[in-house]
Amino acid sequence: MMRFFADVIDALKDLFANKSARMTMVVSILIYACMYPQPYVGEIVRDVPMAIIDQDGSTASRELTRRLDATDGIKLTAVTSTLPEAERLFYERKVHGIVLIPTNFERDLLRGRFSPIAAYGDGSYFVLYNSFATAVSTVARNVGSEVRFARLTALGLDEGTANTLIAPVTSVTVPLFNPTGGYASYIVPAAFVLIIQQTLLMGISIIHAGQRSLGARKIFAAAVAYIGLYTVWVGVTQLLLPKVYGLPQLGDPLVLLALTLPFLIAVTAFGFALSQVVPTREAAIFFLVVQGIPLFFMTGIAWPIESILEPIRTIALAIPSTSAIPAFVRVDQMGASLSQVLPSVALQMALAVGYSLLAYLLLQQRRVQA
Amino acid sequence: MSSQTATGFFHIIRRELSQIAERPGLAFMLGPFPLLAMLLLAVVFAPGVPTNLPVAVVDQDGTSLSRQVVRMVDATSDVDVAKRVPTLAEGKDALISGEVYAVILIPDNMERDLLAGRSPELVTLYNNQLLSIGGIVARASTRAIGTFGSAVSAQILLSNGTLREDALNEIVPVPVQQNPLFNPALDYVQFLLSALGPAVIQIFITASAALSLSREAQREGGFREMLALGGSPLRSLLGKLAPYAFAYFVTLLAADAVLFGVFDMPFNGNFTLHLLNTFMFVCSCLCLGGFFGVLAGETIGALGFTGIVTGPAFGFSGISFPRITMNGFSWVWGALLPLTPYLQLRTDQVLRGAPIDISLPTLGWLSAQAVIYGLLLWGLVLLSGKRAEEVSS
Repeated sequence: MMRFFADVIDALKDLFANKSARMTMVVSILIYACMYPQPYVGEIVRDVPMAIIDQDGSTASRELTRRLDATDGIKLTAVTSTLPEAERLFYERKVHGIVLIPTNFERDLLRGRFSPIAAYGDGSYFVLYNSFATAVSTVARNVGSEVRFARLTALGLDEGTANTLIAPVTSVTVPLFNPTGGYASYIVPAAFVLIIQQTLLMGISIIHAGQRSLGARKIFAAAVAYIGLYTVWVGVTQLLLPKVYGLPQLGDPLVLLALTLPFLIAVTAFGFALSQVVPTREAAIFFLVVQGIPLFFMTGIAWPIESILEPIRTIALAIPSTSAIPAFVRVDQMGASLSQVLPSVALQMALAVGYSLLAYLLLQQRRVQA
Repeated sequence: MSSQTATGFFHIIRRELSQIAERPGLAFMLGPFPLLAMLLLAVVFAPGVPTNLPVAVVDQDGTSLSRQVVRMVDATSDVDVAKRVPTLAEGKDALISGEVYAVILIPDNMERDLLAGRSPELVTLYNNQLLSIGGIVARASTRAIGTFGSAVSAQILLSNGTLREDALNEIVPVPVQQNPLFNPALDYVQFLLSALGPAVIQIFITASAALSLSREAQREGGFREMLALGGSPLRSLLGKLAPYAFAYFVTLLAADAVLFGVFDMPFNGNFTLHLLNTFMFVCSCLCLGGFFGVLAGETIGALGFTGIVTGPAFGFSGISFPRITMNGFSWVWGALLPLTPYLQLRTDQVLRGAPIDISLPTLGWLSAQAVIYGLLLWGLVLLSGKRAEEVSS
């Protein structure tokens, strides 16, 4: 037992003595922790610059314009008289939305007719589009409700009936988790699970690919060392990082640990198996660096898994991150209990067993060859 | 180029090609593998627009009107009522377990309160942790409930004889015609896949150059041999990087061919500008990668640099989260990455069909990167060449 403990310490010493391994398994994680969240720390988009084309120039159209400008989502930065002028600003990225209020807007409104406005959002940037489109819809709906209320009461209806006609039901939307709709809260915790997996796989390849075979005990000790180190990294990225960046974090550390251990065992075993089949360390790193983006979009965080073809979805589950990332997010950001992520934990355990067997067989084969 | 100098250039190309040929793994990285990665992403995003996202309904009312709400939500293309649960707690459980993206609660006495004019609340609790999916579901649910409200309002108006018939037209006095410019269907293929492909391929480009030059630096006498064979640092570099420039230029265009051919993605801009953009993008990435290669002086470190810079590059490019909302560091860092101007110009010319004069500064930005990274690489090679000479003499 003491010998094994000494082996674990030795494996950690080897890791820290190996410049490439240290860079990958320690320094790069610290760099990512500082750098990766930066684009998203603004969390939400507000004041999307927009242009208005007020062809009506009436009291009603000016009131509508004022209300659009007053929303959080958009900010009026340009007034133009024609659509081509506004389009030019759009192409120059000076505005990301245009609202056109047509002639006779006020007259039609007063006469009790439809009085439509046109909104041109930026379909090339969805985050900007959603902020702009939501703000315009809300303002138009509110103005519309007031107009209807005035018309209906003018017809002799009492206020209560008028309100019922305007809003027979009230639609309330409640965001569960990530209440502010922050982008860092959405991307960062998920991405760090992938960073954990990829750097661990790379580190194992750097240390063990093409290496003369170690004894079974030493390999087991090395695996324990990496899992130990990475348990700390999971703690840093899932518990500490959200605090530093002010991201929601609801997870119970014990549930997190129950998910972390099978995940790290699966990744470590996968790493040892991979290190036996890649031709060179360079090939392993190259392969792992480029896989990051495709792996992220298989997890259901940014693109619904329901929209991914069934066979691809199933094959992707063989990679630990595919099921681990949503499970980590559910535990850490949504406060899921163990029973609510049990299928994912079970899958990680199955992967841990499967990859351990595979790694064992590959290492065994290597030893026979040597 | 005189015939003698041309010889050096072609010598280096031949040498690089034979080095690639000796490494089937590397050869695979140059074309087939990036295309496979691109195809995988393409298959993932093939539907273009997410549809039938599962939601749960808690119908505490159980009346004909509440069933009508459920039918109207289910009828939208965006969401699918996949689960009916008796309590809100069970709905939340399904949401946290990942089975559904939202729970729609229809309260007890909804029909009665509605008819009594008490405007009952229909609540959509949605998973905002999955920001974009949660947003789609919440908007679809709100729209469906709004449609339901309008239908009810119309029924009341019809049954109420005292009101004019054209009051029906007044249900939405200020309708908004929403026109998502350049991407009318808000298709993820055009918005995301089109940008993710190049984001993956830039990692390949940068890593290839980093690997190619760090291999020379790592091998004893490799640098001297490379410089001697090429005749000058500039020709050696051009010769070394030319095969990659060609391979990735073709790869990027092949990936585009998939988008335009298979996905019928429209091309709205100037094709010459798009080709120039693609070419300068490859050059800029290669110079940056080559710089990392010489700087690190060994293969693993060179790939490490590449990974740290190119891995998160997509986040800094402003496609997913806009550059106008970023902090100063991210804005500057993003401006230094070849992916940022490339994707901006790509958005301009592929999606938007922007006037050429508006896109030219972006091409200048990308070209300036290529020149600066090229000069850095060239300077570093000059320096390393001198050092190699000193060591040998």
